[in-house]
Amino acid sequence: MTSRERVLAAIDGQPVDRLPLMPITMMYAADLGGVSYGQYARDHRCLVEAQLRTAEAFDFDYVSAISDPAREASDLGAEVEWFDNQPPAIIESRALLSDKSALKRLQLPDPHAAGSRMGDRVSAVALLAVRAGGDKIVEGWVEGPCAMAADLRGLNTLMLDFHDDEAFVTDLFEFAVAMELAFAKAQLQAGATLIGVGDAAASLVGPRTYQRYVFPYEQKLIDGLRALGARVRLHICGNTRKIVDGMGRLGCDIVDLDFLTPMAEARAAMGGRQVLLGNLDPVRVLRDGSPAGITQALEECWKAAGPRYIVGAGCEVPRGTPEANLRAMTEFARRTV
Amino acid sequence: MPELQGLYDAVVNGDQKAAVRLTKEGLDAGVEPMELLSSYMIPAMDEVGRRFECEDYFVPELLLAARAMKGAMELIRPLLTASGAQPAGRVAIGTVKGDLHDIGKNLVASMLEGGGFDVLDLGADVAPEKFVDAVENKKVDLICLSALLTVTMPSMRTTIEALERAGVRDKVKVIVGGAPVTEQFAKDIRADGYGENANSAVALARKLVMAARAA
Repeated sequence: MTSRERVLAAIDGQPVDRLPLMPITMMYAADLGGVSYGQYARDHRCLVEAQLRTAEAFDFDYVSAISDPAREASDLGAEVEWFDNQPPAIIESRALLSDKSALKRLQLPDPHAAGSRMGDRVSAVALLAVRAGGDKIVEGWVEGPCAMAADLRGLNTLMLDFHDDEAFVTDLFEFAVAMELAFAKAQLQAGATLIGVGDAAASLVGPRTYQRYVFPYEQKLIDGLRALGARVRLHICGNTRKIVDGMGRLGCDIVDLDFLTPMAEARAAMGGRQVLLGNLDPVRVLRDGSPAGITQALEECWKAAGPRYIVGAGCEVPRGTPEANLRAMTEFARRTV
Repeated sequence: MPELQGLYDAVVNGDQKAAVRLTKEGLDAGVEPMELLSSYMIPAMDEVGRRFECEDYFVPELLLAARAMKGAMELIRPLLTASGAQPAGRVAIGTVKGDLHDIGKNLVASMLEGGGFDVLDLGADVAPEKFVDAVENKKVDLICLSALLTVTMPSMRTTIEALERAGVRDKVKVIVGGAPVTEQFAKDIRADGYGENANSAVALARKLVMAARAA
């Protein structure tokens, strides 16, 4: 089986020759590719070379254009702080929507615009598709509605907006979904098969707020992605124990779990059909642990998840993870059916 | 006499307007500011922390409660200062240099304030010298360092080294926290403790400040 066939078979519930392997790498890949993270996030050619090298070195079944949450916000005009060797970050104290009335004036950005950060991701997807699309899954990436709203409004402020101004929150989520669907469409046209949806902020809100505000817009986004023909991977890092049942009802092809959400709990909440990915503790187990410890932790994940399982960590593989530790993930996936 | 139990409820329910109004009414009726703080507001934030711990409350509810507490504290703090009342401790808190992710820091700051600490919030992306300055010039008992990213964790070490270089490390306790931070890392960088979450950070802060004062 090619990597691509393996992942698609796993998603569709067909037999696979071994477990698919899809850990998220960003800073780890940049380091392996010999580029600073600033270059990785700014220049799709650096990202693509680093992704290809990492996927090749560890036999990953996919390559991804994920890099940082600030691409869409940057193109909308948000202030972003750049660092030489870590991801750019949105400056929350000067959030684009500090003044809520600015939302009405926001225009949907063109995801193809020359020189834009969204356009750079679309270019990354296109180049990944040319270089690896025959063999591996090419993953595009968008922000989920809660994360995107937090990027524009400020995470702290958004948490209060849920209580203070329901109409504003729903308008903002509507805007985010429309923008991300257009961004995803551009990435799909460029050759992505899978679209990752990152919605980490959703892990902070608890089940009442999640069900009332976040879930309906995640549903709208994911339904829209599926209508565009995308396979969808949902990534909500953090503690999602109280919202996993909702996450399981969204109809995603793959749901990532962070280490704070026990695999067995998620399996029980989501039923047997949902493909689950994860969920090694990225720091304590993957970076700071031993190959034997990683193998054992993956055995436990797999046992708890059952056959509909993809090997990965709870979140990004941390910079500085020993090669032997990542190799242990690869070896586990290779020998497990 | 106003119904002061309402102040407790207002903080627990995150109702800032009611918290401010009831605090005003209490003060107007001659209730001691320390009584409002220690009998109603601190117990209310303890309850908020308990609900957060048992996953009945989440970040939005905690921030709403903190906002209600803060509104009431703006009325009370000047009176407490004027009366010479001692806070549970004086804390400087911030995310370390290079890290702009501040929601965890804000939760801990709110819970410390709710626990009766005088909190100097230095914000996000804070240079080590600012923490040194807080020890030298603001006489803080405790420094809380937060990092969300593995790549900014080394700034925690840099900050502690800056305190050592400035010769003030023995005048202050330092605790660290954030998603990727571990107990072992705290030991490695010679911090005085590690807080796994907002509640444990407050308990640790109380313990360390009391021990330092007793010494």
